[in-house]
Amino acid sequence: MLENVPVLSLTILLPLVGALVTFTLGKRESMAKWVALAFSAAAFLLSLAVAFEFVVDPYSAAPGELDGYSNGYQFYESHVWIESLGINYIVGVDGISLPLFVLTTLLCMLSIIFSWDTDHRPKEYFGLMLILEVGVLGVFVALDYFMFYVFWEIVLIPMYLMIGIWGGPNKDYAAIKFFIYTHIASLAMLIAIMAMYFEAGLRTFSIEAIAEVSVDFSSGLQLAIFAAMFFGFGVKLPMVPFHTWLPDAHVEAPTAGSVLLAGLLLKMGGYGLIRVAIPSLPSGAEDMVFVMAAIAVASILYGAILCLAQADLKKMVAYSSISHMGFVLLGYATLGELGVVAGVFQMFAHGLVTAVLFMMCGVVQHKCGTRMIPLLGGLASRMPVAATLMTVGFLASLGLPGLVSFAAEFMVFAAMFFKWGMWIFLPITAVAVTAAYYLWALQRSMFGPMTNRIETSHVRDVDWYEGVPVAVLIVLIAVFGVFPALVFSRIGPAVEIALRAFGGG
Amino acid sequence: MEVLDVLGAFMPQLLLVLFALALPALDYLFKDKRVLAFATLAPLVGYALALVSWTVGGYWEPPTDGVSPHLIEIDMFSGLFALAFVSVGIIVVLSSPEFIRGERNQGEYYALILLAVTGMTVVAMSTDLIILFVGLEIAGIASFALSGFSKGEKRSAEAATKYFIVGGFSSALTLFAISLFYGVAGTTEIAALGPEMSAMLSAVDGTRSVAVMATVMLIAGLGFKIAAVPFHMWAPDVYEGAPTPISGLLAAASKKMGVAALFKIFLIGIIATKSDWDVALGAMAILTMTVGNVIAVVQTNIKRMLAYSSIAQAGYILIVLPIGTDYAVAGGLFHVVTHAFMKSGAFMVVAALVVRGVGESIDDYRGLAKRSPLLALAMTLFLLSLAGIPPLAGFASKFVLFSSAVDAALVPGQSWLIWLAVAGVLNSALSLYYYARVIKRMYMEKGSDDKVSVPRMAGTAILFASVMTVLLGVYFDAVFDLCQQAAAALFGT
Repeated sequence: MLENVPVLSLTILLPLVGALVTFTLGKRESMAKWVALAFSAAAFLLSLAVAFEFVVDPYSAAPGELDGYSNGYQFYESHVWIESLGINYIVGVDGISLPLFVLTTLLCMLSIIFSWDTDHRPKEYFGLMLILEVGVLGVFVALDYFMFYVFWEIVLIPMYLMIGIWGGPNKDYAAIKFFIYTHIASLAMLIAIMAMYFEAGLRTFSIEAIAEVSVDFSSGLQLAIFAAMFFGFGVKLPMVPFHTWLPDAHVEAPTAGSVLLAGLLLKMGGYGLIRVAIPSLPSGAEDMVFVMAAIAVASILYGAILCLAQADLKKMVAYSSISHMGFVLLGYATLGELGVVAGVFQMFAHGLVTAVLFMMCGVVQHKCGTRMIPLLGGLASRMPVAATLMTVGFLASLGLPGLVSFAAEFMVFAAMFFKWGMWIFLPITAVAVTAAYYLWALQRSMFGPMTNRIETSHVRDVDWYEGVPVAVLIVLIAVFGVFPALVFSRIGPAVEIALRAFGGG
Repeated sequence: MEVLDVLGAFMPQLLLVLFALALPALDYLFKDKRVLAFATLAPLVGYALALVSWTVGGYWEPPTDGVSPHLIEIDMFSGLFALAFVSVGIIVVLSSPEFIRGERNQGEYYALILLAVTGMTVVAMSTDLIILFVGLEIAGIASFALSGFSKGEKRSAEAATKYFIVGGFSSALTLFAISLFYGVAGTTEIAALGPEMSAMLSAVDGTRSVAVMATVMLIAGLGFKIAAVPFHMWAPDVYEGAPTPISGLLAAASKKMGVAALFKIFLIGIIATKSDWDVALGAMAILTMTVGNVIAVVQTNIKRMLAYSSIAQAGYILIVLPIGTDYAVAGGLFHVVTHAFMKSGAFMVVAALVVRGVGESIDDYRGLAKRSPLLALAMTLFLLSLAGIPPLAGFASKFVLFSSAVDAALVPGQSWLIWLAVAGVLNSALSLYYYARVIKRMYMEKGSDDKVSVPRMAGTAILFASVMTVLLGVYFDAVFDLCQQAAAALFGT
């Protein structure tokens, strides 16, 4: 069905066209959300088509059976872009990028629905969201370093403007901090990319081609390049101690901005590590194993402890992202197949779960006018549907078996146990802390007696445009919680390829 | 016949000068002063088309043989620089009619622009120090007069005086350096300086100091021209005081003339003595970009901010000299080209807004996105491009420029060059702060509700510059290929 159709390029192109249409709507501002929804839905459908056509284990299929397949990537497209520098337009998906690719189109579409009542400069708002989608999709399918970097940086501008225009009271500070902080990290990555390009000496920026040579770089150089990349990707992840931009950005960003920030932008860091840094620089990665593991454990614990101290519901969810993304890094740090697969799956899981959490924070803010936990209380009687959705979201996030995060975190722990044995008691304590802060927050905000610290008589339950996206996500959280193999089976073979250089993982 | 050959090689310059001489007369003949702008555009556009059809299209070859004594060389290097200068000239002239409407002596204004462009192209073509100096002076004197064109304005007069004094001083330094070179090498031909210079620099007796002195004088003299730190103090005052389109000409073109001269002398003439000056120029490059960016952060006037930003940009280009590979030169040339469009574009937006009564303070840009969406969008493109955000032209050229430092640093024994790349990217991040601040004013803050219409001719110039800024970022294969050919031409390979 999709033979000879450049379906990945089309998926990237659709939101771009949608953004241009949205920007040029002129006076018909109320049309903006419809246009944005149409284009993001079309992109989502295309990505679904990719997911269904994706050959689960391409490595065992006979050659010639797969169209547009190269080196384990499917729907592969390659065109010369800037010949004089060896820059190509190469896109393709494998089992690592596929879940994130679909997650991107899904979350963008749901965020647009969730923002249905945006009336402040809607053209720009929805247009920028679509531009953001273009950037993130591009990062997940790019197989050329130059392209990868271009898409990586394209993401910054719409997010900067979203925080700066539609953000909260302290938006100026948060927006510029986000912009510069993550830009500096990108520049470290850029220098690493340049070093790889020249040291490889192939006159091509192709990620695959360079990886074939870069595995043989001297260990000192590998360590230097890996460290630069690790910083570049780690800030995005974010990892302690480079996480401070995240709470600021989240607290000030509009809800949909937070959803995309936590659901997708953080994944770019985790994706970059496993797509580029670890497979291309195995010796560098091995030298940094303990640094990675220590930072991962620190992020998990520190993020969780900070959550306990938060009075702002959204800030708590923001810090919980730091903690949960620490699991991704911890999975990677084991440098074994189990751990890396778990890390990739954790990104997918966290994308679904954190979107629910931020959306519910947005609902509370919207309906009650505040997100401060001490001011809330007993809201369940006013907004039973919201309370239910939020409870499921919190339970999913704390790793309740049967929901999606459990599978991911359990596998990370298993992988760590095989590698480092009893050291898992450190990250495992975070599970208890996580359960504590979620349940405590839930009890103080939704259940228990009414506090009457805020006027609650006007508080309504969720609107359809808020409830539907959350409900869709919750269904997916349950489905993938019960059948994680749907995703694992696709990630596994790709990770096996990615870890080739480590002698069979 | 030799005379005719030389004249043939100088044909475009002669044409520009001819129009320059005719313009004051046209000023008397026509009431509608826009005619003057079109009469200025005609030779510029013609020259640009000729250059494009030669460099990009390859439809004809310029006359290069038979020019003797060897004073100029028309090759890809000079062609690319000329293209950048002429493009900036076109953008500046297009933006001028609305800006100087009602002023007296408009004929002279346009004539001086043509002369300035002429001088710049001569510098790019020169293979001899004397011709190079003549070009510097033609462009310099025209620019001094242009900065003082707003005669009623104190700022403009101050700018012209300051520029004249500093410019004269720097010319004197350059000339002194040239005379020392002549004393050392016995020739003013740039390509022949090398052997004698390196022999003298390795001498142990007093002659070494002459060669050192010549190099230092040259760095100082041309350092003033490109406003490299610590020779930069004049630039912000002059850019602020000069009529805004002229500020664009100075920042985007005049400065690049100094770059052309530096490339010629350092990379052809005295490349043999590179180990004597590479660390000094590397330090100067880092200092220039850092000081430019740090001071730009605290500016409240948009023209001063752009002035400091072009100081920083000169610092980026300066890293080419200590690196000295042809890939680096190609990157430097590429940055010259992209900077020509993004910086002149930014100044032209300022000029268009001044025409419509919007002030030059950054605070005056509050809510501009509502008042004039197109101008705000164009300004955003130029500023993001200057900051090096993909997929815009400034990113592409900075990418090549900084990567050339990484490339060279991978060679054993040159690892210190990596610091040029690190300083470059850190400075880019810093510059993002003040560029983003302007974008914030335009998009995130509320200002007056009056709509601002786009002046038609300036709008055309801005459109041209923005199209180039996007195009050179998205698809720069052809232009970068030219830059590589130009770099090869410079090194004579």
